[in-house]
Amino acid sequence: MHEASLMKHLMRKIESVAREQNATRVLGISVRLGARSHMSASHVRDHFAPASAGTVAESAELKIEVLTDTSDPHAQEILIESVEIAE
Amino acid sequence: MKSRTIKVDYLARVEGEGALFVKIRGDKVEDVKLKIFEPPRFFEAFLRGRRYSEAPDITARICGICPIAYQMSAVHAMEDAFGIKVEGPLRDLRRLIYCGEWIESHVLHIYMLHAPDFLGVPDAIHLAREHPQIVQRGLQLKKAGNEIVTLLGGREIHPINVRVGGFYRVPTRSELAPLLERLKWARDAAIETVRWVARFPFPEFEPDYTFVSLRHPGEYPFNEGRLVSNRGLDISVREYDDHFTEEHVEHSNALHSVLKPRTPYFVGPLARYNLNFDRLSPVAQEEARAAGLADGCLNPFQSIIVRSVETVQACDEAVRLIERYERPAEPSVPVHPQAARGYACTEAPRGTLYHRYRIDESGTIREAKIVPPTSQNQKTIEQDLWQFIPQHLEESHDKLRWQCEQAIRNYDPCISCATHFLKLDLDRE
Repeated sequence: MHEASLMKHLMRKIESVAREQNATRVLGISVRLGARSHMSASHVRDHFAPASAGTVAESAELKIEVLTDTSDPHAQEILIESVEIAE
Repeated sequence: MKSRTIKVDYLARVEGEGALFVKIRGDKVEDVKLKIFEPPRFFEAFLRGRRYSEAPDITARICGICPIAYQMSAVHAMEDAFGIKVEGPLRDLRRLIYCGEWIESHVLHIYMLHAPDFLGVPDAIHLAREHPQIVQRGLQLKKAGNEIVTLLGGREIHPINVRVGGFYRVPTRSELAPLLERLKWARDAAIETVRWVARFPFPEFEPDYTFVSLRHPGEYPFNEGRLVSNRGLDISVREYDDHFTEEHVEHSNALHSVLKPRTPYFVGPLARYNLNFDRLSPVAQEEARAAGLADGCLNPFQSIIVRSVETVQACDEAVRLIERYERPAEPSVPVHPQAARGYACTEAPRGTLYHRYRIDESGTIREAKIVPPTSQNQKTIEQDLWQFIPQHLEESHDKLRWQCEQAIRNYDPCISCATHFLKLDLDRE
């Protein structure tokens, strides 16, 4: 139920990283989904498209790694690992 | 194209699921919109095709703070459809589990969300630093509510022991006994809570509200009664759809509920209190009078006092129910599904919660409608801000923002559980 708001937070972080780096375009984003996180990879893709429209990250490539270890301390988390920016 | 990868390692968190937009021109408020972004969750749609018996457990998932309210509205609507009456100790146990939910939900809002506003601290963590004993009392009091829900519901969040016709298992007298001392302590702690919050400074603000709540012939309302208002409404729950309607507004994903044709109304503790003062127990009445609310309460900022009075009521009622409890021979009454429509309103901590179902002859849900309290209060929240902001335009941006947050928090809106607050967009010229 919190997909839209998780995505909003994610986008905020991506945009702030781009701003800090003076980047005008984000080319790729690497995201890691814990085994018990609230979103699946397809969820992330579905929500990313409208959330990123008109932002520096529009049409950026999403690299999503889905973890399977349910006992990982970060199993519930969604982690932005890195952001690839154009120079 | 050359590119560079920036290592971030940042965890995504749930962001505010609501925002308030206020447009001010000079000394006039031109627009107020409470926007709720949280996407629709389609519970009514995925109830279709499920067994009638699944409704209490599916709808309980709508809210982690008030799952009992959803279970109670669901089972009472099904029992209305099938012509079942649950009485005696089973009925008492349902009131008891609702007491538990009121205690945990109200205390959470009073101590963790609302009190910090009045004491000028940003949150309960800061409150705990300055007033550790008070926060301790709040946590212990909340725990007393959790213990009732755990014992009767099987677990404290999203309990699984409620069923159409009663419960899957009912406790023995000796299982309930240890709760008694704890609830007597809780009743005293709730009384101290009333006295504590009654001393808070409250802005003067008394709009002319239309209050709506259940009213029962002899009890402060939980599961039964007629729907009444302070403007002469007095209907059976089956007539709900003749008098209330939900509207979609463009700026919110939550529907706005209005009294037909288009009157905003107010549900929740303030409405219940003003319409049912005479049904409160003597100790709750006495505390309310001492807190200065003998003639009713129209100031939504004082809802923190009313919530505390209702906590006294819930503790007191829980003590009474446990003292007279005799374990029933069967944990539930027999249920024979039939093709029918069923309706129920119960009083969730945040206000009246309406469920309506259409069931077919096999006991399958064909249609479901659920109207939660926050969607009923949304329009009234906006109306409050239309009135409140012009009186406070001279305040600084930050102070006004804080007061607007507080005005929304008066309603204990469901969105407050996802985030301490929403984004405030003050467009001022």
